[in-house]
Amino acid sequence: MKSMSLYVERESTVHHIDPITKLVYIAAAIALPIILPSLHTAWICMLISFVILGMGRVLTRSLPIIGFVGFILLTVVIIQGFFHVGNETVLFRLGSWPFYEEGLLFAMGITFRALNIVGAFLILVLTTKPSDLVESLVRKGLSPRIGYVLSSVFQIIPQMMATVDTITDAQRSRGMETEGKLMTRIKAFLPLIGPVVLSSLIDTKERTLALQVRGFNVKGSKTFLNEEKMYRYGSAMRWSMLAIVIGAVIWRVIA
Amino acid sequence: MIKIQDVCFGYNEGQDVLQGLTLEFDQRTTAIIGQNGAGKTTLVKLLKGLLKPTGGDIWVAGVNSKDVTVAQLAGKIGLVFQNPNDQIFKRTVLEEVMFGPLNMKVETAAAKQQALQALEMVGLADQTDVNPHDLGLSEKKLISIASIVAMNTDIIILDEPTIAQDAAGKRRIAQIIEQLSQEGKLVMTILHDMDFVAAHFERTIVMNRGKVVLDDKTREVFSHQDLLREACLDTPYVTQLGKQWGLPETVLTTEELISAMKRPR
Ligand SMILES: Nc1ncnc2c1ncn2[C@@H]1O[C@H](COP(=O)(O)OP(=O)(O)OP(=O)(O)O)[C@@H](O)[C@H]1O
Ligand SMILES: [Mg+2]
Repeated sequence: MKSMSLYVERESTVHHIDPITKLVYIAAAIALPIILPSLHTAWICMLISFVILGMGRVLTRSLPIIGFVGFILLTVVIIQGFFHVGNETVLFRLGSWPFYEEGLLFAMGITFRALNIVGAFLILVLTTKPSDLVESLVRKGLSPRIGYVLSSVFQIIPQMMATVDTITDAQRSRGMETEGKLMTRIKAFLPLIGPVVLSSLIDTKERTLALQVRGFNVKGSKTFLNEEKMYRYGSAMRWSMLAIVIGAVIWRVIA
Repeated sequence: MIKIQDVCFGYNEGQDVLQGLTLEFDQRTTAIIGQNGAGKTTLVKLLKGLLKPTGGDIWVAGVNSKDVTVAQLAGKIGLVFQNPNDQIFKRTVLEEVMFGPLNMKVETAAAKQQALQALEMVGLADQTDVNPHDLGLSEKKLISIASIVAMNTDIIILDEPTIAQDAAGKRRIAQIIEQLSQEGKLVMTILHDMDFVAAHFERTIVMNRGKVVLDDKTREVFSHQDLLREACLDTPYVTQLGKQWGLPETVLTTEELISAMKRPR
């Protein structure tokens, strides 16, 4: 069975931190560079996110994603470097095209912030079991129905990927070419869409039935199978992050 | 027709599901038996090319499975999946059964002919326009058998064809296996029903934990009660009955048992 999420099972402190604290971290990581819009806040926040990824021992797993986003952001750097509105100081020339410092700095700011946000989300996604996340949210008062929808969303893509594999096996077993050139793959993929969607719907129907016969719709508060995941320093961490954000706001106002 | 040499395979690194299998297959009807998780399905998926060995080589009709795509191999070897739901993806029974022949570049009319013949063989010729997913498991299994038979390959592998079948269904599957074998095809079948194996297969291969523990004529295999027990398998009821009656030979069918018991002692 293909793994049902991006979650990477590792033994690390970051893995033990509860999902809510990680959500708070994402909020803080997004908020701080907005409150203090200097380039330094941006790169420091980014660095912190990466260090946490490293502590969670998932930095290598996140490199492809960070690399992909970084590659896209490279185009921002190039475009801003050449064409940013406030461009004045020429850094170097590419042929007769001047590349400016202002544009570069502006683009760096965007890049650092974007990578910071990506990193913060990756911390949550790579070191938290989706089911743990949903369960914590339900404990915090989210309706179990919405929780179920959320966890379905987490599962549906890997599940569809598994279905694609199954049907691909059925097709190539009976002589339809699905390997090799990109064109062949695309041609093989198109007729897959119908069966994959259909089979996902059948799965959903069956799961609904399975949930209903086991009393998912029963009113009243539910118990949980798993121990609540509590990290010893979780609430201290959340309060300090809140303090940092508030501190940043005050700084912004008085400075 | 198939040769495998020192084949190893594992789904996860460090956990070999198959540990160095060397086998050769000829036209004899061949049964593969073994407890759940022994690696039977894994073995036939390797033969089919759906999985590639992590060590060793597999030749199907003279071609190394590493050198061709599954689709290129499809004209030579057909596999009926263990779970028909994994195999069926078209919206009508006829489309499903015609899918293989059409990929083999058979003309539409001829493909339809082949499909209808195969459906006739499994007794579903009157269900051509039905959506396969509206049928029961036993019928789905028969459809998946028909869609492989329709491709007319020289090698046909059936992964547990008798699941969900009643007595009539089993008789029908036995007939199909016999007919395909008479056409000179290699029919290889994974089974949990020992009586069925004893009655219909010339050769039997016993697998346990990724290894072949016995590989011989069916009668010979079922005479090794102890080895089979080690592999968590039973011998057929008639065979057990014969043993307890004190027969020196291994009997495989009711007829054999009766005639042996009538023999003056
Ligand atoms: N896709 C997979 N990923 C990981 N492990 C698998 C996968 N498929 C099978 N296995 C494991 O490989 C081993 C052999 O499985 P296999 O399906 O070949 O057994 P089998 O002999 O066909 O059993 P059964 O009689 O239950 O069909 C089992 O331990 C199984 O858990
Ligand atoms: Mg199996």
